[in-house]
Amino acid sequence: MKKKTNMQIAAKVVTLSVSAALAMAPVAVLAQEAIDLSKWSPAYVKAIAGTAKFDTVGDCNKVVSTDHAGRVTYWYTGPADSDPEISRKVDAEFWLAFKAAYPNIAVDAQNIVYNDLLDKFRVALLGNAGPMVVRLQILGGVEFGAKGYLQELKPEDVGYTSADFWPGAMKSVTYGGATYGIPTNNETMAFIYNAKIFADAGLDPETAPATWDDVVVASKTIHDKLGIAGYGMVAKQNAGNTPFRFMPQLWAYGGSALDENAAAPTYKTIGLNSPGSKAALQASYDMYVRDQSVPVSALTNTQGENQAPFIAGQLAMMIAHPSEYAKMVDLASKATGADKAVADEVVANMRYGLMPSGPDRRAVVFGGSNIHLVKGEYVDGGQDDMAARALICMWTSPEWSTKLAWVGSNPGNLKGFQTEWMKERLDTIKFLDVTTSMLPNGIPFPVIPEAPEIMNIIIPDMLQNALTGKMTVDEAAEDAAKKVEALLSGL
Amino acid sequence: MTRSIGPATLAPPRKSPGVVRQIVNQRADYLYVLPALIVMLVVIAYPIWFTIDMSFYKTPASLQLRDRSFVGLKNYATILSAPAFWAVTWNTMIWTLASTCFAFLIGLGAALALHREFAGRGVMRALLLIPYVVSAVAASYVWKWLYHSDFGVFGALSVQLGFTDKPINFLDNLYTVLPSLIVVNIWREFSFAMIMLMAGLQTVPEQLLRAAQVDGANAWQRFWHITMPHLKGVSMVTILLLMVANFNSFVVPWIMTGGGPAGASDIWITHIYQIAFGRQNWGLASAYSVILFVVMMALGYFYVKALTRGDEGRAG
Amino acid sequence: MSDRITRKGFDGWRWAGRVFLTLLLLFTVVPMVWMVLTSIKTQFAAMQYPPQWWPQEPTLENYTKLLNPANPAGADFLRYFWNSLYISVATTILGVGVAVPAAYAFSRFRFPGRTFLFFAVLLRNMFPAVVFLMPLFILMRWMGLVGSHGSLILTYLTFGLPLSIWLLKGFYDNIPIQLEHAARIDGATRFQAFVLIVLPLSTPGIIATAIFSFIGAWNEYVYAITFLNKKERLTLPVGIQKYFAEFSTDWPGLMAATFLMSVPVVVLFLVLQQYFVKALTEGAVKA
Repeated sequence: MKKKTNMQIAAKVVTLSVSAALAMAPVAVLAQEAIDLSKWSPAYVKAIAGTAKFDTVGDCNKVVSTDHAGRVTYWYTGPADSDPEISRKVDAEFWLAFKAAYPNIAVDAQNIVYNDLLDKFRVALLGNAGPMVVRLQILGGVEFGAKGYLQELKPEDVGYTSADFWPGAMKSVTYGGATYGIPTNNETMAFIYNAKIFADAGLDPETAPATWDDVVVASKTIHDKLGIAGYGMVAKQNAGNTPFRFMPQLWAYGGSALDENAAAPTYKTIGLNSPGSKAALQASYDMYVRDQSVPVSALTNTQGENQAPFIAGQLAMMIAHPSEYAKMVDLASKATGADKAVADEVVANMRYGLMPSGPDRRAVVFGGSNIHLVKGEYVDGGQDDMAARALICMWTSPEWSTKLAWVGSNPGNLKGFQTEWMKERLDTIKFLDVTTSMLPNGIPFPVIPEAPEIMNIIIPDMLQNALTGKMTVDEAAEDAAKKVEALLSGL
Repeated sequence: MTRSIGPATLAPPRKSPGVVRQIVNQRADYLYVLPALIVMLVVIAYPIWFTIDMSFYKTPASLQLRDRSFVGLKNYATILSAPAFWAVTWNTMIWTLASTCFAFLIGLGAALALHREFAGRGVMRALLLIPYVVSAVAASYVWKWLYHSDFGVFGALSVQLGFTDKPINFLDNLYTVLPSLIVVNIWREFSFAMIMLMAGLQTVPEQLLRAAQVDGANAWQRFWHITMPHLKGVSMVTILLLMVANFNSFVVPWIMTGGGPAGASDIWITHIYQIAFGRQNWGLASAYSVILFVVMMALGYFYVKALTRGDEGRAG
Repeated sequence: MSDRITRKGFDGWRWAGRVFLTLLLLFTVVPMVWMVLTSIKTQFAAMQYPPQWWPQEPTLENYTKLLNPANPAGADFLRYFWNSLYISVATTILGVGVAVPAAYAFSRFRFPGRTFLFFAVLLRNMFPAVVFLMPLFILMRWMGLVGSHGSLILTYLTFGLPLSIWLLKGFYDNIPIQLEHAARIDGATRFQAFVLIVLPLSTPGIIATAIFSFIGAWNEYVYAITFLNKKERLTLPVGIQKYFAEFSTDWPGLMAATFLMSVPVVVLFLVLQQYFVKALTEGAVKA
């Protein structure tokens, strides 16, 4: 019902803004429509796309002049060899554009694998050999902000405004009252399923499971009828994938790690042993142990290990990024012969649905990356503030935050949603409207330096304890809660 | 092994008074070991000191390393009283002993079998050496794929050959994971033992063996009473090196299972890594390392004692 | 008559040996075979279940991609290859140069602290290398070696020293001291005796040491990934890990790279190992 009202309002907004734009065509370029987050829906996203133009180089030149001479060192996770071609193309384009905008700034950019970046950064800082600028995944930065390695940095420092970014994203770069980063891109995952498998198992192929309880049932049905794995559970320790997939489940049932699901979290109360958390854990237990409807290797699987079975038609459901579709298309294009037929069929039957909801809510992890500025004393060769800001300004501009997030994410800078490239993405990337529509449901992980340990170690441990039968569901939850308490009390 | 005959002529005559005098007189000796010493001191002494020092501090996640706080022996107490410690220790014992023992035995068997000339021996030997030279990272990934609970070749084979109706669960089962990893470790290490023992077998005098054969000793007796004693030195070195390597063997368990599931394949070294890099608790990890180190020291001391026993008469 | 009995008994062991070797060979070779089979499949074909034993459409594209300098993946691979080669060779040469005199001293001389030093050399291996990562990184920073190949060479040197010294000491122990006595009587200094008489005789030992050093350096992963940052400086084990990016797993590519990475060390080992064993055989048949 609420959705329909939103859509009505959105429709009105579209009509109004279109007529307004037509009436004030030359001026419209400058007077950009303010984005109203309360109206967020697939239709609204479509409506605002392509409605504004930005002069990236011009805007950034106001912050750092184009003839500034210096150098900048930058660490980030860029496109890998096995990523779709377009990610590599865009990455190369960015560096060319940066060079054109700031010809006198020497750039040393390092593309570091996702799983290694945090460790390398930590070790580098210890040796005062860090980069000037670093782009870390959303959970990564708070540790360094808390330890005092990062300079204060907010959107205003590079010519944007904090209001132009998601509140949840801004929360993730704030610690102790200070802001020390700018969101580059934000995404939320979606629930992906194979419609053909659903049909074969007697489920409705055009409807994703609405609730997590439905997922458990669907998984069982698929496994019992077709003998293949239903839901691609991921429970590996020390892997970022696990909390991204388990936390939505946890939050949906009303559970939580701390109180991150509250409107104004304090991160001081523990929620792992709440009835909601235990119910969520029980659902996983039911799938893994009782029904055996998920891959046995879930305990050591990361999402990467779900892709193979999915494209081979051996897995029915999984949670993944917006980019997963592009990945599958890429894989299918490389297939030959009989393989190609199977792959193409999977791609044709691939569907995105909203993250399942639970008794408490529909929730998804507010994911993404932030860009940070490192304090000079920890940088190898000292900090070149202006050069760094030039880079940050361009990277987080509406144009580039959209382009650089082409395949897998969405611009952190909300104005990116208004660019022509967003429109192009919406037109060419299937399911993008679904994944973008979930952004308001996003909950960021607790913004405390202990969060990586809680998310990447304590929670997967809890899962593993329960799923291997080492502890009962109750015991596992209590054990995890105790560990978090010990961690937070500084033991 | 030869012994020196008569008075020593290689070293300058030893004077009785004081160690310092001795050091001064034999300073040329030290020159030979100086390069090795310098390297070891620089690259080893500092990290050891750093680790021992760090083990007495606490490093919370919200502070930099230099803002650590002194906690004395608290880290050690925490470790020894944690229930996980005994489980990890047990795993480590099984891992080390089983890997060493079987790698050695298989290596010994291979060395014996390859000792005699036969057609294709060179090729056979070459092929058997491959696991040792393949990188641990590569081997881990290959075996991980072979063992895969849902799509691995071994699992598929067992279903196709009718042994089981579901693929065997190697790596995701609390009880089978450690043995599975041990197999991988043995695969990687037996050729090292094989090489060492092959070299050792060369020193077994043929005449003795023939004489024993003529006297009617069977193959087993010849092996046990003649061959084995000659292999004692090499065997002990090999076993010691294998044990030390296995104790600290990190790549295989880490890449294949990360210590999981639920800590079933967690050995000391992966546990320490987890504490240091996963939980960022450097103080605790350092304390763990010191404990590990002390254990190894004790282990090594007895071995070195046994090994250098035979050296007394050799040098001049 | 005793000949016949012993021959029959011997035959029993012989057959046991053959069976054992065959099984062992299977055990050894199957993973390698599977690695090669996977490497000639397309990325999609490798992800089939039940697995395809022989790919329907085998392809060498994974290999050509890696060896082609024009291809970005190939250019990277070749650079990693060169880096690994450089580091391994440097480590080996330096390692042998440091270990040889030290092992000789431990074998021949008696000086105060000999046992302690000998023991200390072994000590190094006993400390978990992984925990040394952080202090060693700080040390490298202090020495100005951060991110350079020098930091790895220095680190690998210490990894290899204990084993090298052990091995070489064993060889020196086996060389009769009378040779050196004879040389000294003829007027040679201790050092001359060492270099001119003993060193040549210990060539097999030196080669064995060199091989172990080289392989250790070539395959090392944990330190390489921590100490090296710039892509141009990475070594092979680290480089091939790039195939395991977060979102995708290119198994055939990884297997092909693994194969290529293993070829040099295997070849080196095979070539030198024959020489090494041959020299040992000749050397051991001395009264």
